[in-house]
Amino acid sequence: MLEYHNMENIYGNYEKTLHTIAIDLVDKINGYANTYMDSCGDKLFEHLSWRIKSPESMADKCAKDGLPLNIHSALKEVHDAIGLRIVCLFLDDIHKNIEQLRTLPGTRVVREKDFISSAKPNGYRSYHMILAVENEIPDVDGNTPGEYFAEIQLRTIAMDTWAALEHELKYKKDIHHPELISEELKRCAGELASCDVSLQTIRELIRGK
Amino acid sequence: MKILLAEDETDLAEVIKAMLEHSSYTVDAVENGALAVEHARSNAYDLIILDIMMPVMTGLEAVKEIRAHGILTPVLFLSAKAEVDDRINGLDAGADDYLTKPFAMGELLARVRAMTRRRADYSPRVITLHEVSLDTEKAELSCKNTISLAAKEIRLMELFMNNPDLEFTTDDLLERFWHDEKADSDAVWMYISFLRNKLKSVGAPLAIIGEEGGSYCLRKASLI
Repeated sequence: MLEYHNMENIYGNYEKTLHTIAIDLVDKINGYANTYMDSCGDKLFEHLSWRIKSPESMADKCAKDGLPLNIHSALKEVHDAIGLRIVCLFLDDIHKNIEQLRTLPGTRVVREKDFISSAKPNGYRSYHMILAVENEIPDVDGNTPGEYFAEIQLRTIAMDTWAALEHELKYKKDIHHPELISEELKRCAGELASCDVSLQTIRELIRGK
Repeated sequence: MKILLAEDETDLAEVIKAMLEHSSYTVDAVENGALAVEHARSNAYDLIILDIMMPVMTGLEAVKEIRAHGILTPVLFLSAKAEVDDRINGLDAGADDYLTKPFAMGELLARVRAMTRRRADYSPRVITLHEVSLDTEKAELSCKNTISLAAKEIRLMELFMNNPDLEFTTDDLLERFWHDEKADSDAVWMYISFLRNKLKSVGAPLAIIGEEGGSYCLRKASLI
């Protein structure tokens, strides 16, 4: 990216701010999960991970989306500079987390995409939410409090395992029988989805729901 | 295994029914073609045995009606006439095999065994109902999404999709699909629960209704 090489960092001096906001959001999510654990003894998720998209990947994404390579594009037009992933044991836990996220103080939902009810053609399943997060640190447009964006992906452990393998397939070159592998991977997605539903059903039967 | 027998000669009907029941088949016997159609539409049979010459509606007309309703159950013809035309017409109308009267009971039983054994061959690979499709070979249930099904789930779903709006009791399902003596109504309820959630997860406009331990039936969701 020729234009990009002339820039220091597409986030300018906001990279540290993005970290601060991500950690703050993670704290809020851990906060509701702890409250839930105290009330009924269940874990709302198995693990929570996060990352700040690398400035290089962000520049690539802006270029791909036809956006000017600047801080405004990276922080205001593209919404996944901050990415969180919530991995759950059971399907219902995903929906419980979605409910919590919809009412999380200091945030509002910008967009939701349900790839669990409507899986992508390749078999990908996850629930995606874009949150606008309010923070006292002024944003790139000079708003105080500032408004930042984060993408949250929610999925089960099975969906996470599948996505990890699909990710590997996407970036690996010279694969033998790529069509066969894609087809079998899609079949696996269907089997894993079936197991997720069965496990959820068995949990409901055990708990007498 | 459940068999529908349509035969107007009462004595013969009684003998056939007794023989089949002795071989552990459940038999519903009726005396004309119209009643055969009515029974075939309201029950799920594994085999239908039809006499050709019957009052009210002949076996030939009955098999046409049965097939017109999309019922794929194998049909065996019984006929006093040995004319070639009769056999051809019967088979062309949708019957799968025939037996000419008089016949040996042993041969009838052997044909019944053969036809019920080959039941799977008569079933189409993909069954579609209200935009929901069940691919029995790939073991997949699809609508807005695709999900895999376990072997027993497929057989159950196949029965429900081939017989929409028909009620199946827990005992009926146990007898059809669970052959180990340990299985009870809890096992049926678990699989009904699996299928309910799997139908939901593919966004199917179908639902299995019924209470735990009772009768179950597949309905279009908008009709519930």
